[in-house]
Amino acid sequence: MSVLTQIASKLFGADPIFARSTPGGVHTDAFKQHSLRSRIMSTPIPQQLTIPIGDPKTNTITLLVKPGQRVRKYQQLASIVSLANDHSSIAVHAPTSGIVTHFEMAAVADHRQQEQMCVWLQTDGQDEALVLEGVSEFSSLSPAQITTKIRDAGIIGMGGAGFPTADKLSSAENFDIDLLIINAAECEPYISADEALIRERAAQTLLGAEILRRACSASRVIITIEDSKPDAIEALRDTLASRGSIAIDCTIVLVPSKYPAGSEKQLIHCVSGIEIPSGQFPVQSGILVQNIGSAYAVYEAIVEGKPCVSRITTLCGETLQTPKNFEVLIGTPVSFLFDLCGIEKALTHRSVVGGSLMGRELPNDEAAVCKTTNCLIAAGPGDFPAPTQEQACIRCGYCADACPVKLLPQQLLAFSKTRSHSALLDHGLLDCIECGACDYVCPSHIPLVSIYKESKNSLMARRQDADCSEHWQLRFQQHQFRLKKDKDQSLARKANSKKSETKTEAPEPSKSIQLKQEFFSKDKASREIAAAVARVKARRSENAPGGSKALKDKPPE
Amino acid sequence: MKTAMANAPFQHGGNNVAELMQTLIYALLPGVLASLWFFGYGILINIVTATFFAVVAEASALQLRGKQISQHLSDRSVLVTAVLFAIAIPPGSPWWLPATGIVFAVLIAKHVYGGLGQNPFNPAMCGYAMLLLAFPLEMTSWHIPNVVLSGPLAVDSLGTPIATSELEFISPLGWQGLKQSLLLAFPFAASSDINLNDFIDGLALATPLIEFKMASHSALLAARESGASLFARESETAWEIINICYLLGGLFLLYRRIISWHIPLSIIASILAMSALFYAPGSVAIYGTPYLHLFGSATMIGAFFIATDPVSAATTRPGKIVYGVIIGIAIYSIRVWGSYLDSIAFAVLFGNFCAPVLDHYCRPRVFGHGLQAQDGSGNTQRQLGKP
Repeated sequence: MSVLTQIASKLFGADPIFARSTPGGVHTDAFKQHSLRSRIMSTPIPQQLTIPIGDPKTNTITLLVKPGQRVRKYQQLASIVSLANDHSSIAVHAPTSGIVTHFEMAAVADHRQQEQMCVWLQTDGQDEALVLEGVSEFSSLSPAQITTKIRDAGIIGMGGAGFPTADKLSSAENFDIDLLIINAAECEPYISADEALIRERAAQTLLGAEILRRACSASRVIITIEDSKPDAIEALRDTLASRGSIAIDCTIVLVPSKYPAGSEKQLIHCVSGIEIPSGQFPVQSGILVQNIGSAYAVYEAIVEGKPCVSRITTLCGETLQTPKNFEVLIGTPVSFLFDLCGIEKALTHRSVVGGSLMGRELPNDEAAVCKTTNCLIAAGPGDFPAPTQEQACIRCGYCADACPVKLLPQQLLAFSKTRSHSALLDHGLLDCIECGACDYVCPSHIPLVSIYKESKNSLMARRQDADCSEHWQLRFQQHQFRLKKDKDQSLARKANSKKSETKTEAPEPSKSIQLKQEFFSKDKASREIAAAVARVKARRSENAPGGSKALKDKPPE
Repeated sequence: MKTAMANAPFQHGGNNVAELMQTLIYALLPGVLASLWFFGYGILINIVTATFFAVVAEASALQLRGKQISQHLSDRSVLVTAVLFAIAIPPGSPWWLPATGIVFAVLIAKHVYGGLGQNPFNPAMCGYAMLLLAFPLEMTSWHIPNVVLSGPLAVDSLGTPIATSELEFISPLGWQGLKQSLLLAFPFAASSDINLNDFIDGLALATPLIEFKMASHSALLAARESGASLFARESETAWEIINICYLLGGLFLLYRRIISWHIPLSIIASILAMSALFYAPGSVAIYGTPYLHLFGSATMIGAFFIATDPVSAATTRPGKIVYGVIIGIAIYSIRVWGSYLDSIAFAVLFGNFCAPVLDHYCRPRVFGHGLQAQDGSGNTQRQLGKP
C-alpha cells in the first residue's frame, strides 16, 4: 500500500487523491430512498419558534433583544462566545418576524445536547425581512472578510458536529492549507439532507465550496461523495461541466459507501492516504474539511447576504406517510414537522434525532430544530426493533473488524467491565469515535458504545479526582508550612521582645503587620505558582496522546 | 406507543449468537455424514449422548447460577461444544465415556469459569483431554463394525500383517451395524451370549496417521515387503474424504464470515511447513508425508472448528496468526515426538494458554497512533508551518 502510494505520489505529485480502502466500517441498509422521493419543501411558519442559542454552561450569551420586542426576519437575536475560546462566537438570527416572548432553557433536537437556552418567538406570519446585502462578486473579498461574514451569519458545521465554520477557517490561518475537502459523504443510514441538497442546488453548493477555498487559500478542493448517490454525483458533474462564468477548480472523488466513510479523519485517510495523528486536528496536516451543507450556507451568507436561519432536515421513518426533506426554520418544533409528514402516532416507537447509528432518542416531540438537526426519524417497529436481550461476549472479533479506528472493542469491553482504567487508556478508548459500527455487528447485542461512553466518563471523573486530590494535597502542605512558619516567627518574636523589652518600644505591631503582609503575599505567590503548575499539568495531560501518560504518572489510589 | 428509551445505535446488523452456532453446526454436517458413512452409527450415538448430557449439565449449571435457563440455552453454544466433543470421541465407546467427558466439559471447563465467553480453555478439548488421561484404553480403541476387514492389509496387535479374509464383513449402515453400535454404546443391554470383543477390530485406531505412528518400523518394512501399502487401506480413503468434508465445511464458514482465515490458514500452513521440513522419504525416521499430516488425521476439523472457538482463542488479527502457528507447531511436535496419539486437543489447549499473552502483545496499531513525524508526504514543513 505504502509503496503504491509512493509510486502514485511520484506520478501525480504529493498526496494523490483517490479513494483508498480504509480499515473497518460496515455496510448498512441505508433507508434513504423514501425521503428522496420528493423535492425539498419549505414548511409553513409555525406559530411559535423556540430558537436555540447555546448552552449557558459553556458559553457567554449576549442577548440583543428584550422580551416583548418585535423582531424582523434575519435580525440578530443573540451572540454567544465560548468560555473556552474568546475568539469563537456564533450569531443567532430570527428565522421570521414576530415578538420575542421570553428566554428559557428548552429541549433541542441535537444529537448530543438535550437542552439549550432558547429565544421564544411568537411569529406574526408576515415574514417581514430585513434588506439583505449580498456580494455576488465574492472574488473581491479577502479571506478575512469572508471569515467575518461567515461568523456574522452564524454558520456552524451542518453535518452534525456543530463546530463554528468561521473558527475552523480562522484556525486554518496558521497553516498552509493544501487540501480542502467538502464532505458530502453522508454515510449514516436514514439521513439524506445533503444528497437532496446537492441534487437540487448543486451550483450553489459548488459556489460555496469555491468561497470556502478562497477563505482558507487552499490549493486544491475536492468534494467527496459516496458512490451510492448517482443523482447527486450527476448533478455535481453537470454543474461543473456547464459552468463557464466562474471557474470552479474542484474534483469530485467517489468514496465507497461504507459507514462511517464520512467521519472526518477516516475520510481524509480514504482520499489522501494521510492518517491524522491522534489528538491532532486535520489543519495541522494542511487539510480542512467542511460539510457540504455548510458550503451551501456559506454561499447564502456571502452571495445573498442571508444569515443561517434555516437548514435542510430529513424527515423519515416508517410511521411518516410522506417522508421528505424540508427546508426548516431554526426553532421549529419537531412535532410540527412530524404532523406535516402525517405521522401515525400510535405506531411510533421512538423519535430519533440524527441517524440510526449515532442519533439520540428524543424524550418527546417538543424539542426544537437547531442548526445541527440533520435528520428526524419517527421510528416504527420495522425501523428499530426492540433491543434484544444482551448476551455474553464470545470474543468473535467482528467488532474489531468493523472498527474504523482499529480498536479492539472486545478487549475494551472486558476492561470496561473490570474498570481497568490504565488498560482502557492503553487500548485507546479515548480514540473511539462512538460510531456504533461495533454495536451494529455484535452478535451478542451488547450496547458497546454506551458502555464505552460510561467508561470515558468514569475516566474523566477519575482524572478530575486525581487533580483535585493533588490540589488539596498541595494546599495541605502549604498550610502545614504556614503553621510551622507562624510558630517559628512567634517564637522568634518572643525571644526578640524579651531582648528588646528594655531597649526600645519599636513599632512592633507595624512590623508584625508588615511580616504578615509579606507572609500573605508569599502565600499568594505560592498559590499562584501552584495554580500555574496545575494548569500546565492539565494542559499536558490534554496534549499527551490519549492523556495516558499523565494518568499513569499518578500514584494508584 | 413509546417503548423504553434507548441509546444509539438503534439499528442492528442482525447477527446473533444462536444463528452463528447454528451455522457452525450446519458446517459440521458434511464431515459428520462422511464419518457416519464410513464408520457407522457410532458417531451418531456419541453425538446424541453428548448432546443430551450437555443440555442437562448446562441447564443444571444455569439453574445453580440463577440464570434464565431458556434464554441461555437458546444461544446453542452448548450444542456446538457437544457435537465437537462427540466427533472427537472414538465411535463405539460405551455411553458413559462421552457422558463423563461432556459433563466435565460443561460444568468444570465452562461454568466454573463463568459460563459462555468466560472460559479460558476450549471446553470440548478439556473434556477430551480429561478422558484421554483418565481412560486411555477406551479413548484409543475405535470400534467400527465393518472396519477394514475387506481391505488388503490388517495388522495384529504386534503390528504384523495378518490375513483377514475369514472375518465377516458387516455394513456399518445396515441393521446389523446399528445393532452392533447400540450394543457397543450400551453394553448393559447386551445378552450374555454375545461377546462384545467379537465386534472389536483390534487394530482400528483413530486415524491413519496414528496407525502410521503406532506401527513399528519392522511392521512397516514387513508390510512393504509383502507388497501392501499402508496407504491403500480403506480407512485411509475414508479419512481423506472426511477431512475434505470438514475442509468444505470450514470453507463455508469462511465464506459466511463466521470465522476469519487467520487461524485455520496459519495452522495448516505451519503443519505443512513442519511436515515438509522433516519429511525425508526413505529415511528411517517415521515422520509421515505432509499429505498424511493434513488429510490423514483430524487436522481439518481442528484447524477450522476447534482452534477457531472464539472464546478461548486469541482475538486480535496478528494474535490469531501467531496463535495458529503455535498450535500448528504443537500439533506436529506432539504427533511426531510426543507420546499421545493425536494432538489436536493438547495443541489447542496449549494455544489457549498463550492466547491472553498474544492478545496483549499482538495488537493492531490504533488509527492515528504511533505515527512517525509524518508519512513523508511533505506535511512536516506544513505542520511546523507558521507558528
